[in-house]
Amino acid sequence: MTANPLAPTPTAPNAAAPGQPVPANAAIVLERVSRWYGNVVAINDVSFAVGPGVTGLLGPNGAGKSTLLHMLAGLLRPSAGRVLVGGQPVWRNPGIYRTLGLVPEREAVHDYLTGTAFVELAARLHRLADPRAAAARAIDTVDLAQAAGRPVGTYSKGMRQRVKIAAALVHDPSTLLLDEPFNGMDPRQRLHMMQLLRSMAAAGRTILFSSHILEEVERLADQVLVVHAGRLAAAGNYRQIRRLMTDRPHTFRVRSSDNRRLAAAFLGEPSVFGAELHDGQLMVRVAEYSGFTRIVAKVARASDVSLFEVAPTDDSLESVFAYLVSRR
Amino acid sequence: MIFLEIARVTVRGLLGRRRTILLVLLAAVPVLVGLLVHANQGSLVAVGATVDALVVRIILPLVALVFGTAALGSELEDGLAVHLLTKPIGRSTIVLAKTAVAGSLTAALVVPSTAITALLIAPASAAGADTVALAVGALVGSYVYAAIFVALGVVTSRGLIVGLGYALIWEGLLAGLLPGSQVFSVREYVRGIASVISPGVLASVVGSAGFLYAAIALVAAVAVAAYRLARFEVRGGD
Repeated sequence: MTANPLAPTPTAPNAAAPGQPVPANAAIVLERVSRWYGNVVAINDVSFAVGPGVTGLLGPNGAGKSTLLHMLAGLLRPSAGRVLVGGQPVWRNPGIYRTLGLVPEREAVHDYLTGTAFVELAARLHRLADPRAAAARAIDTVDLAQAAGRPVGTYSKGMRQRVKIAAALVHDPSTLLLDEPFNGMDPRQRLHMMQLLRSMAAAGRTILFSSHILEEVERLADQVLVVHAGRLAAAGNYRQIRRLMTDRPHTFRVRSSDNRRLAAAFLGEPSVFGAELHDGQLMVRVAEYSGFTRIVAKVARASDVSLFEVAPTDDSLESVFAYLVSRR
Repeated sequence: MIFLEIARVTVRGLLGRRRTILLVLLAAVPVLVGLLVHANQGSLVAVGATVDALVVRIILPLVALVFGTAALGSELEDGLAVHLLTKPIGRSTIVLAKTAVAGSLTAALVVPSTAITALLIAPASAAGADTVALAVGALVGSYVYAAIFVALGVVTSRGLIVGLGYALIWEGLLAGLLPGSQVFSVREYVRGIASVISPGVLASVVGSAGFLYAAIALVAAVAVAAYRLARFEVRGGD
């Protein structure tokens, strides 16, 4: 992909002000959207635009991913701002579902219907000309033809997920939203689902899926939106985001044969902010992760100190998200 | 037709085995009472009062409550309704289909129960008129109650509790005590309609106005439900 379909650049992801031009091919546009429940702010002034391809909505649990997806699906009213799909407002506009499909996270399906009947029902509710053929095609797409005659109530978690996806794409929507689509899938099903979403994106569709697992987003998404605590922490292609995540200040815990001498040596390095001694351990604050990992062994050897342990102290995804938000 | 598609899948959802058996048993209670009365032919039991006490006061609102709240409210709660809401369908079509199904299933149980009970108890001279009067009352009541309980399920996530409170506390206790409150009691509409068709089968405060009130309540409930469904927001989330 040559064009970057995400409107805001990674350095200023929230900068898209109302009225600012968005990419002509953007299927999904959020303009300064906020959502609060009583006094609790769930989404805080988020703007972005998403075009064709696979985009991952990444964030820890409780970050506001579901709130964003529900607003995009017209199932929640934005407290402020505008949510547009295909240039039309989504809220209180059932006509939007002609071009929009949602795969909800919740597993509720009509257990008493067969897979075929469930997908055919969706096709009929869309008033498709040939619901039977459309349902068969959608079931084929998610590779569920063998189990299509069985009641959905007998399906495994992964099969339920697939039948929900079949129902959501039976009308061939140009935009597909998926809320945590890989939950409960085994690795083989996950791989198949990723192939499916990629091929749908290759056909020009806009696909937005949420996930709290970095690895899923890494493997599937061309573009990434990072959400933390209701704010858009970063937006861009995966490599840019990844670099932001690794090139951040870090604290390393070091154990060595002579912590005091090593500390003095580290302080002479431009990439090191500070070094403190704590209970026989050396805590080193550095400008960036990879730079320090390159010099640590060299510095130790030059000062004739043996390294026993070098460990980053804080590498949880949660802290990465918090960092991305704080640097804005 | 969309209306029929929604109606068909709603009927299948509502007629789960356990719920159906339970409600059929409930609807059979007045018939059993009728059989007992019929066996003791000497006893003096008024047909109107019996049907009113058993069917109109208890069984009709309970059956309508179960079908009415399950038709839409519980689907909104457990997330099943999302599949319906994310389709290009007018929200009033959804409410009308759900109300029609809940009302029809309620009537399918309650109207035969009413008619058989009335036939068993009513004196031979007035059996036909009384039975028709009470059955028509139950039929109208089925749809009005169902519409109200469908609307309650959209308006509040505790439709079942609120509906139970309305049926038992308001209709059962208070509506009889406070003058003028009968205007807001579906039970009074049913009694009024029956009293118009067969005078003397039941005493009624509202009389023939019962038809009008029932129509207003039905339309208002559907309108409120459609209005609120168009603005429905998923509950919970992160």
